Amino acid sequence: MNAKKSIPIFIAILFGGLTLLGLLFNLPALNSLMLGWAGFIAGFALLLGILNLLYIHSSRTLKKKNLYSAILVFSMLAVFILAVTDNMGLTDNGVQTTFNWVLAPLEAALASLLAFFLLFAGFQMLKRQRTIWSILFIMTAILILVSNALAVSTLLPQNINQIIRQVQHVIQNIIVLAGVRGLLIGIALGAILLSIRILIGLERPYNK
Amino acid sequence: MTPVITLVIIAVLILALALLMRRIQTGSIVALRPLRGYTGLQGQVGRAIESGSQLHITLGRASLIGDANPTSISALTVLDHVAKDGCANSTPPLVTLADGTLLTAAQASMVHSYHQAGRSADYDATATQFIADNTDAIAYSGGVASLIHQEKVTSNVMVGRFGSELGIITEAADRKQIDQVIGSDDPNALALATAVTDNLLIGEELLAAGAYLEQAPQQLASLKLQDILRWVIAAGILVTAVLSFVL
Repeated sequence: MNAKKSIPIFIAILFGGLTLLGLLFNLPALNSLMLGWAGFIAGFALLLGILNLLYIHSSRTLKKKNLYSAILVFSMLAVFILAVTDNMGLTDNGVQTTFNWVLAPLEAALASLLAFFLLFAGFQMLKRQRTIWSILFIMTAILILVSNALAVSTLLPQNINQIIRQVQHVIQNIIVLAGVRGLLIGIALGAILLSIRILIGLERPYNK
Repeated sequence: MTPVITLVIIAVLILALALLMRRIQTGSIVALRPLRGYTGLQGQVGRAIESGSQLHITLGRASLIGDANPTSISALTVLDHVAKDGCANSTPPLVTLADGTLLTAAQASMVHSYHQAGRSADYDATATQFIADNTDAIAYSGGVASLIHQEKVTSNVMVGRFGSELGIITEAADRKQIDQVIGSDDPNALALATAVTDNLLIGEELLAAGAYLEQAPQQLASLKLQDILRWVIAAGILVTAVLSFVL
């Protein structure tokens, strides 16, 4: 194996082993050193991501005359300039104001559409395949939605409300929880074995 | 659990992995149960190559240095597979992601695929796009949805860590009537994905990407060991449940 391939493997195994020892034997100095380095790498990677975004959309603006990309580049530069002027004391809370008045409402609007998208997807599923499982899926979703609404209603008698809450409890805390736990056990096993393969150098996603 | 016990368990697992790997290398066959997610993925790669259009793959929001890094590594394995076939046939995938650490890994995967295909000069840095930071799920999903609308893509592959924002991306793909493959480890995202496509990779199925797509002995051995451990845990749960009733 040549040096170009073996050096990354050596570094990965060494730092994987050190991180494991730091966590197992509770070595705060080692843990904070590793976290610091990881944080530095993540920060630098985020900067690369932002440059990638700026480069791609600048290219699309200039080459393809894409209006959306032009708006994105303009917005990025405007927020950057606001951050600089905020720092210099020329503007007051410019970045936060932009976030509160532009980004937050836009994201809230998109997030509120999510419920409609999901409902639509559910009915699309029924159109695509009318199996017992898809019908059960939709029935459970509707039951939980309706029971959530009815459970807080004061119009229903107390004993009916109690029954609705019990049905909800059985679905959410017994049936769903059991399924989720099974799913998480499988994921945990897969993650443990993948981590071991990386730790002993059998899996090398970093070494193309 | 004391550190020594943890180290002993790790040592036992490494030993078992080595033994199973040796068995596979000497000819023991591991039968893999067919998974619709991987079958669908192969079909979509083939269709993208035949039609000469792009396949879109998005790698989710998990960082390579966070707790969901096994999921992201598996997503990168899927990208390796898709990029290898696509780059060799002049239909490289369009890659989107929401984490800086994933960006460099995804770019490395694309460069490597072009290099393997003997087309290093064709590498296009704009085919791998950072959409938004992983802390901003809605911005990420909105960006990906907009890209699906604008670009000529024939299929949508979503592998990695997603939350409920997955619904926005799948809606965009659904409007374009393109096939989808979705793999995640998040129960909420999986519940949404069930309503959208049959080509699902549920939790550990996504983590088995290496064994299904590359079939290297260490990956097959790992899958076999995972099956054994699952039986051990299931037996443990049953015994504990019975004992709690009896005692």
